[in-house]
Parts: sequence; C-alpha cells; structure tokens
Amino acid sequence: MPEIIVKPASLKELWKTLPALGKARRYLAGGTDIVTADNAGAESSECWVDISDLPELGAIKETARALFIGSGVKISAIENSAPARRWCPALIAAIPHFASPSLRNMATLGGNAANGSPCADGVCALVAEGAFVHLAHNGKKRCLPLKDLFLGPKRTALEKDELITAFEVPKTKHFGAYLKLGPRAYFGISKAAVAVSLEMSGKTVKRASIALGSVAPVPFYAVKTSAWLAGKPLSSEVVLAAAALVMTEVSPITDSRSEADYRREMCGVLLERALKSVCR
Amino acid sequence: MEKLSFVGRSLPRKDALIKAVGTAQYAADRDFAGLLHAAAVRSPRPRIKILSISDAKARLVPGYVTLVTYKDIKGVNKWPVVMQDYPFLPEKEARFAGETVALVVADSARAAKKAAALVELKYQELPFVEDPLQALKKDAVKIHGKDNVFSSFVIKKGSVDKAFANAAFTVEGEFSTNYQVHSYLETQGAIALPEADGGMTVHSSTQCPFYVLDAVAAALALPYHKVKILQTVTGGGFGGKEDVPALVASHAALCAAKTGRPVKLIYGRKEDFQSMSKRHPGWAKVAYAADAKGNLTACRVKYVLDGGAYSTLSAIVLWRGTVHAAGPYKIANVDIQTFAAATNKVPCGAFRGFGQPQICFAQESLIDELAEKAGLDPVQFRLKNLLEPGDKTVTGQKLNSSCGLKELVQAVRKRSGWDKKVNSLSVKGDIATGIGFSAAYYGVGLGAKGRYLDRAGALVNVYKDSSVAVNVGNAEMGQGALTVLAQITAETLNAPYESVRVEEVDSSKVPDSGPTVASRTTLMSGNAIIEAATPIRERVFKTAYDILIAEGADASKPMTAAGGVFSMGGKAVDFKKAVSGCWDRRLKMSEQGWYVAPRTTFKMEDGQGDAYVIYSYSADAAEVEVDLKTGVARVKKIWAAYDVGKIVNPKLAMGQAQGGILQGMSWAMYENLVYKNGIMVNPNFTDYVIATSADKPEYDITFIEKPYAEGPYKAKGMGEVPLIGVAPAVANAIRNACGARVRSVPLLPEKIWKELKKV
Repeated sequence: MPEIIVKPASLKELWKTLPALGKARRYLAGGTDIVTADNAGAESSECWVDISDLPELGAIKETARALFIGSGVKISAIENSAPARRWCPALIAAIPHFASPSLRNMATLGGNAANGSPCADGVCALVAEGAFVHLAHNGKKRCLPLKDLFLGPKRTALEKDELITAFEVPKTKHFGAYLKLGPRAYFGISKAAVAVSLEMSGKTVKRASIALGSVAPVPFYAVKTSAWLAGKPLSSEVVLAAAALVMTEVSPITDSRSEADYRREMCGVLLERALKSVCR
Repeated sequence: MEKLSFVGRSLPRKDALIKAVGTAQYAADRDFAGLLHAAAVRSPRPRIKILSISDAKARLVPGYVTLVTYKDIKGVNKWPVVMQDYPFLPEKEARFAGETVALVVADSARAAKKAAALVELKYQELPFVEDPLQALKKDAVKIHGKDNVFSSFVIKKGSVDKAFANAAFTVEGEFSTNYQVHSYLETQGAIALPEADGGMTVHSSTQCPFYVLDAVAAALALPYHKVKILQTVTGGGFGGKEDVPALVASHAALCAAKTGRPVKLIYGRKEDFQSMSKRHPGWAKVAYAADAKGNLTACRVKYVLDGGAYSTLSAIVLWRGTVHAAGPYKIANVDIQTFAAATNKVPCGAFRGFGQPQICFAQESLIDELAEKAGLDPVQFRLKNLLEPGDKTVTGQKLNSSCGLKELVQAVRKRSGWDKKVNSLSVKGDIATGIGFSAAYYGVGLGAKGRYLDRAGALVNVYKDSSVAVNVGNAEMGQGALTVLAQITAETLNAPYESVRVEEVDSSKVPDSGPTVASRTTLMSGNAIIEAATPIRERVFKTAYDILIAEGADASKPMTAAGGVFSMGGKAVDFKKAVSGCWDRRLKMSEQGWYVAPRTTFKMEDGQGDAYVIYSYSADAAEVEVDLKTGVARVKKIWAAYDVGKIVNPKLAMGQAQGGILQGMSWAMYENLVYKNGIMVNPNFTDYVIATSADKPEYDITFIEKPYAEGPYKAKGMGEVPLIGVAPAVANAIRNACGARVRSVPLLPEKIWKELKKV
C-alpha cells in the first residue's frame, strides 16, 4: 500500500489536488482490484486518490433517452435500482456472477472498467448494453462507446488522471442475458462469459449486441455475430449458426485459469444457451 | 458400555466465545514492548548459486535495523526435521523459488517488507528439475543424492506375476493428483522474545510446538531448558502447521537473538503459498487382478510423490501412502513400490490424509474399473473383498474387532439408494446425474515409521477452588482438541465440564508429546490425561465417599458419580466440596500422565508388520451432476459413514466430517496450483480456487462406533478420515453419469470435456 492516500471531497477539489501529488498515482474506487493487486505485490503507486465517495460519481440518473450510471455507484446499488433493472437487463443478469455479495458492496463499474481486465463481468455486460463511457479530465470532457475504451489486457484509452464519470445506456426495450463459466459455483474469475442484448420485433431479431469476457485481450464486442443476427428469426438453426460464428470471432488463450480450445467452444455453448433463454 | 456424563455429548466448544467475538489472540495480535518486525528475502528462481547478499540499499529505508543471514546462526545450520537436509538459511545454494535466503529486521512490518525488497541478491542460475518422474530418470539433473530419491518403500507379499498371469480380470491405469494448499485462515507467524538469561521464548502458530522447540534450540545452540515455546491460538493447520512453523519460528528467533529485541515474523499470503508446505502432487500406476468370481488376487503399485526441494516430511508421508496403497482389501499377492522424488519446487509435507488421498484416488477409481470388467456392481465387488475383523492387511497385520468397514459400506449403500441409482441413467437436457462409491481405511497415529515420536504427556492440576487446569503437548488448531480433552478430563474426574480448562501448549509444562497430526490427539493426549487424572480421581472419590458417610449417607448401596456430583444413600456432594476436602487432607491434586502407543512394526525389506495400532474406516457415495456440453460437474450430495470408535463430541465430529468432505471435494474438483518453469503461477486466492459454501454438497453422515479398547473412552481417531475417500467417489460418479473417466485430480471441467469427446 502506498504511503499516501488522499481523499478529495468533490471533483473540484480533486482537480485542484492532483498536481501536487506524486506522479505514480492511481485512483482508488471500490479497491477490489487495486488492493488485491497490492497484496500480490503487483501495485507500486506512490499515492492512491480515493474517489470512492465523490458525490458527482455516485448517482444513477434517468433522462428521457438514457440511463446514466455514475462510475462510483456500488454494484449492489445497481442491483437494487429499479431503472437499472428496467433498462439494463444484461447488466442485471451479470450481477449475481459479479464477485461476492461483500465485494459487490465495495466494487464499482468505474473501477471495473478502468482496471481494463478482459474478464470484468460488469463491463462485459455493459458493452453488450451498447453503453457509452463519459470521461473527464479537469475541465475537459469526452464520451466514447465503452467497447472503444479497451486497447489490450489492462490497457485502456484513459489518459493520465482522466476519470470515468459515468456510463450511459440508451433506453431501448430489449432482452438481456449473461452467462458465465467460472471456476466454481460463484465468486470466481470467468473462463468464458457471454452477455447478450437483443431488441426483438416479434420473433425476429431487430438488433443484437453480443459481448464476451475472458476470451480476447479486451472485453470483446462480437461485431460479426451481432451484425449477422440482425434481421434473422431466432430459430434453433439461427441460434446454432450464431454459436458457430462467435467461436470464429474470439481469440482465447491458455493460462492457469483455462485452456484456449475449451474456452472457444464454451463461447458457442454459452451464446447458444443465452439466445435460447431469450427465445423462452 | 458405562454411563458417561461428558464424553459422547455435544458440549459447547471451549474456544467458541473468544473466536466468535474476536478476542482470540493469534500470533499477529500479540504485542510486546520494543517489538521489531522481520521480513524474508526470497529466492526468485528455482535453483540458484548465491553469489552475494547486500543490504546497501535496504539500509536507507527509515526504521531499518539489520540483515540476518546464515552467518548469524550460532548452532548447526540444519533444521532438525527427519532427514535434516534443509538449512535454516542457505549458504551457497537456494533450491526453490520462494526459499528464504535472508531476513530483514526493521521497526515496523512495513519498513521490513520495503527493505527486504531492496536487498540485493546476486546469483547465478543453476539447472533445475521440475517434474518428479523426470527427476527419477538416470540422466536427470541431480539435486539430492545420486538419484533424487528422498525415500523409497516396498511392500511385497506372495507371487504377483503369477497371480496376474492366472487372473480372470485385470486392470491397469495411471493416475495423477495435484498439490493442495492448506488455505488456513491464519498465515504462518511467530514472535521470538529474548530472555535476560540468554534464553528465548517463542510464541508460535503451530500444531507441533515440540518441533518448534527442537528447531529454535538447534538454530540458537541453546539447551532446551532455556527455550520455551508457547503455542498461540492457531487459525487452522490441516498439516500445514506441522513442520514449517519451526522454520518460521527459528527465523524469528535468529532475528531476536541478533537484535536482542522481540521480533515478530508474520507471513503474507503470497509468500505463504510460495514457501510453506503443500499436499504432495502424486503419480501412480496401479494394477489389480481378480479371479472369475471377482475376488481380488493381486495388486501392483508404483507410487511417486513430488517432494519438492527438501525432504522435510516426505519420507513419512510416503510411508503412510505405501501402507494404504492397495486399499482396504484382502489381497494375497502384493507388490508396492513407492518413491518420494526431489524437485526444485516448494517442499511438500503434511496435509490431512498424509499421502493417502492421492493413492486412494488412483486405487479406488481402478477398483470401479475392475468391478465393471468383472461384471459386478462396484459396491458388491467391494463387499466381496473388503477387510473384516480377523483379516490381514497387505502388511500382514491382523485386524481386531474394531473394524466396521462392511457395515459402513452397507449403511451408505442403503442411505444413498445406491442399488436403484447406479444402473438408472439420468439425463435431463444437457445434465447427466450419476453416483459413485469409495471405501478407505486409515491407520490412526504415527504407526511404525513414527513410533519413537508416538507418546504424549499431560499435566492435570486441580486447584483448591476445584477449577481444573490441563496442559497437554498436542495442539488445538480449530479441530476441537481443547473441548474434547476437557470432556475426557471432566469424565475421568467427575468434574463439571465448565470447571475444566485445557490450555494451548506450553513446552515447559509437559514433556515432548510428538506432533499434533495423524488424527492422534484424542487417542494420545486423551489417554495421557486419563493416566494423570486417575490417581486424582481416586483421591476425590474417596474423599467424596468419606464426606457422604460423615453426612450420614446410607452406605448399603454404592456411591454413584455423574455430572460432577457424588451421590449415595440419599445424600449428595458436589465436586467442589470433594476437592475442598482433598485439599484439607493435603492430598496431591496435581499429576503427570504419559501414554505410549502400543508397539508397531514394519520390515523395510518386504513391508510386513503391524503398521498401525488401530484403523479407522470410511465409506463414501457421491451424487454428481455433469453438464455434458461444458464438462462442469457439481457434487450434489455425499453420503458418508465412519467408524472412528467412540465419538467424544458428536457435534464436533459432525463438523470434522463436513469439513473433511468439503476439503476433499475442493481438492478433487477445484484446487489447481500451477507451476511453470519452476515458478508458482497462482500463489493467491484469486486464481487458486477453493470450494465456497455455495459449492457445498448436501451431507448425509453416519457414525458407526466400533469401540477401541485401548482408546480413551473407546475412541480412535477422526480428523483426516473424512477427506480421504471423497475424490474417487466423485470421479466414479462422473464416470457413472457420463462415461468420462478422468484420471487426474482436480477433475476440472476442461478434463471432463475432453473425455466426453471420446465417449
């Protein structure tokens, strides 16, 4: 753990404080990744900037067109939010797979995204939800499709000191599903995970958005499979074909958590099951 | 059986309250004036020649005190454990990644860690060996002796080749099992306090305080009477606090001796993973032969354990595995050969089951295959061949009447609905359900190979207020020793349970009682307590009788003693008053007890002899669901039955059973420590996955108590028994569910998925 942890009371104070701090500084949100990394000896910041209670990051707001989830909102608060339950079915489906109840009381989507891990359950689901990410750096603000935030394992488009302020999910009526293959019944890092968001018109897919976790260097948006599904009836043939297609899109690796071939095939199995759950 | 007041009852744990409210003092919780903190400097590579160690940069850390290396060792630089090949601190060569090469002392734990990271270790990498089977090959890099063999045993009986040649059915298979990490909640830790007379007092989280005593005295070159070991409340052991706490405590003591101040050394989880003992990975090639009727005729086993860089306990772990390698069966012809191999990885040691679970997985999986070949139901096949009272084990030991194995198997068979389930295929959608069986036996105590350590002492001291203090040499580590031993004391003295206090071990109060391992504490310390308490009992009973007579009791009927009260002829006197009477008479109210295990034997040439004093037994049935597309298996229910003799505390026994099953299932299904090029890849609980309560199967547990005449109130031993048979029962259930036979633990979905593709 670094020698210094500072905790500004507001965004304004944050921007004022930053220049005076040591260069090797990191934001501390829920701490569930950074403290674990620190315990493992993989974190060497001189200073942590604790943003966990910044009021500007802590709310869920609904507008006519979109839902804004503050980057500092605890996962358990999202789980209990009625608008989130209405407009983010894939994200809500992912929450029971997200770590453990106690960690969900600490963890945030902002921290989850900034950590840049390809296995982040909440982030993978949000990519499927077609979310945008709002970033701020002092006075400067910008907004990206969330899928474009990720550049590689643990690498993001975030610039130094740039802060994720919120996620914007367009309000569209859609079905969502999240299926994960973890190492045990719950509370584990996925070997493979699939998030699906489907806008349906009767039995036909109007828009499909599929994201996968732990099977590519980043939380992976399956461009081909998502596009291929649009306009197709959700028949069992189409489901199987989509499952076969998604296996060609992913690029899993073998590591201590699982094996590449297995992961690839599981992407198909999970997508098939996720799409079937929507059919029902 | 005699009527008992305290033994056989689910009395509350003696340590329940302090653990529940958080006041228990673990090693890290203790503080002393002037306390310094130590941190280890560790080898980064599998095998290195140490060129130099410099603290030039570490010295700049505020609070830095000193660097401790092998040069600071006053005694002989050999940790006294079994073969003594492990130096307290390496001089020229470090043999596994994570080995402590030096220690840094500073005025805070934080400063010590920071400074340790800045110590410059200059080294040259040496060729290393990672795989135990490779290590045994002639052309392997030699890191131990001429052949990399720490130890080797044989059991030979009959004519195995002939029996295989004449067999109606034979099976052969290769099996392997991976490491298991003890995953105790409390990492390793010790505090050493230098005493004014040059002595050393050590507070240690340990299950073997006398191993700590041996090591600290050796490292500091002190006579034993100047070293005192106080066991702290110990947050889990499972074998992981058998040998290695002695190393941790010696390191703390070396730092304390050099600085003249108290030194605390508490391990982080990562270094605990990297350097502390583990369950040995195992490899086995097993073959069985049976005649046309399905009677086992022969067994051939080659069993190899991956010992790691130093031998530590490998020899005795291997020996237990050797004795039990053929399974709990009557077999006339046996050829068992076993080896513990040296590799440049973390030294492996004791873990609940101690070399048995690995080979049990292999042989009990293979027994199912043999039953299948012989066209017999796996339970029927076992019933035909299981050991019964009067039968001889593979070492030629004749079993006495305390053997309920067949009854256990029948109980599990009936309770699990085996006969109906085993042949009914159940597939719903992608989910197949199956059931699997296993049976096992377990030699209680240290057995012939550890017989010189198989003794235990006790000190029972009854104060004049009638409170009773008991000191033993075996440790509470969560298993319930304080409670069970208090029950045995209360029963023997007819003292109220609440008035008995058993303390954590203080090495100055009791003689060396051997290690707290091998499910031996109830048996050994229990018997030592009975020996100590019996003369006091006689004095208390006589005094109570005299008081009752003096109070005018009718002496025509005998006095009864129950629940802390003595009664006769309508009068009663309680324990307190009886004790007060004893003190008035100036009777001796403090006694030492000593118990030595009955003789055991083992001939090195052919492995024949009475290997253990007594055996406990288990039978398991597992019901498993397998997802046919993902290979994910889930254990739904375990039916288990145990014969561990008399149950002293049913609730604690149930806890041991459930915990053992879950730990066994966790090893069987999930736990996967990965090494790559001699480096541990996942030394953390993020990627080393253990079962959680969400993975817990439903339990159905039965005890069948076959009394052991030598045991305290007829008890045997229980701690390790429930873990041993779980893995093969689960593997056999997976096979029954979906046809996939996985021959390596953990039974990961990836492996089941690969096997499913072959089915």
